[in-house]
Amino acid sequence: MKPDKNQYKSIAGKVIIILIWICIWQLLSILIHNKILLAGPVETLEALWRMILTGQYWKALTFSAARIIGGFCAGSAIGICLAWNAYRVKLTEDFLNPLISVLKAIPVASFVIILLIWAGNKMLSFYVSALIVMPVLYLNTLSGLKASDVKLLEMAKVFRMSMWRQVRYIYIPGIRPVLRSAFQAALGMAWKSGVAAEVIGQPLGSVGNGLYQSKIYLETADLFAWTITIIVASFLIERLLLKVIGRGLLLKEKTV
Amino acid sequence: MLINYRNICKSYDGKQILNGVNLFIDTSSDNRDVLLRGPSGVGKTTFLRIIAGLETPDSGSCEVTMGEAARGGSGLRVGMVFQENRLIDELSAVSNVCCISSSISVERARAALRAVLPEDSLDKPVKELSGGMKRRVAIVRAILPASDILIMDEPFTGLDIETRERVIRYIMENKGSRPLLIASHETEGLPKMRELLLN
Repeated sequence: MKPDKNQYKSIAGKVIIILIWICIWQLLSILIHNKILLAGPVETLEALWRMILTGQYWKALTFSAARIIGGFCAGSAIGICLAWNAYRVKLTEDFLNPLISVLKAIPVASFVIILLIWAGNKMLSFYVSALIVMPVLYLNTLSGLKASDVKLLEMAKVFRMSMWRQVRYIYIPGIRPVLRSAFQAALGMAWKSGVAAEVIGQPLGSVGNGLYQSKIYLETADLFAWTITIIVASFLIERLLLKVIGRGLLLKEKTV
Repeated sequence: MLINYRNICKSYDGKQILNGVNLFIDTSSDNRDVLLRGPSGVGKTTFLRIIAGLETPDSGSCEVTMGEAARGGSGLRVGMVFQENRLIDELSAVSNVCCISSSISVERARAALRAVLPEDSLDKPVKELSGGMKRRVAIVRAILPASDILIMDEPFTGLDIETRERVIRYIMENKGSRPLLIASHETEGLPKMRELLLN
């Protein structure tokens, strides 16, 4: 479907706002006039372009993205499975409650250091992302399941609907909105925590390592370029994953 | 098959709703259909819910005898029309009927729904249908799967006289030998059946 006139206007408005912010950034960098303190957008884009042309940049991006997305998927799957278990068996919920509360309260830095000692730095961002994502998905899925339509569940019981059919036609449509926003929030958290883990753990050839190197050599433009890379990668992957997940959650009537 | 509910009692928050209700159904008898009567709030829905296995009576017993074997009430396979439609809003009429069980094919559901609904309403999401149309979908959903007993709680709500007669005809033609237990204030057009008065 083609965007209409209003959509074009809205997009143009957003672009103008972004351009104004970039101008403010450029003005500030001119005023400060210190590339270490604040690199301007031009220097940042130059640094980004220089990095893009190297194979190392793409390797680092692939290295980090694979681990962070892997951790996100694993954390999501574990969170959803545990939530389903907790919904079905109250004892599971009671048993998991303290663990989930602890996982929510522990600062990312503590996680990173503990996991660095236990598992080394190679897969650190995978584990950290998974541990950050898991409680988010667990809590949201559980609350969605608990809010399932009781009347429809009674209907399913009377008609002896199979569990698979109940999941497909009653539970998934019920939790779909909650799950969508949970995935969105969790994916952002996975990126932030994953990269933070890499900055602390320093696995060679990762985005976090690139960020750290920029800091050491006071290459603020490179630091900004890596940051832009993370933002763009996170945005694109979020869009893609939400589309895939959204499709998976959709109730396709023709397959009844 | 013999279905025997004896001395069923149920109370909520200290208020007695059902007090010693008895119901015996011999599915081989011509007298197997039962009309549940009584003023509002007397426990008709509660009794139907007990038969459907959704509520447990405080006291009383239920015995279902199938030939030589006897089993508890929860073993009954029930086809039910609830007081509310309890349909899945996003699904079409056909899908609402099919989603219950893999044994109901799309063709079978479509053919059954055609008897009580206009063709162009079958594939619309049920949330777009009128109250009366939704009611008819709920009735077809109750009739179509294999069951031991049919339970209908105010099934004719929202139906005009002409549609009600059509629906009653559909129910009686398609229920087969299954006993029909029906609670309804609108009894006009219903064939003569045994009455169980609750008060």
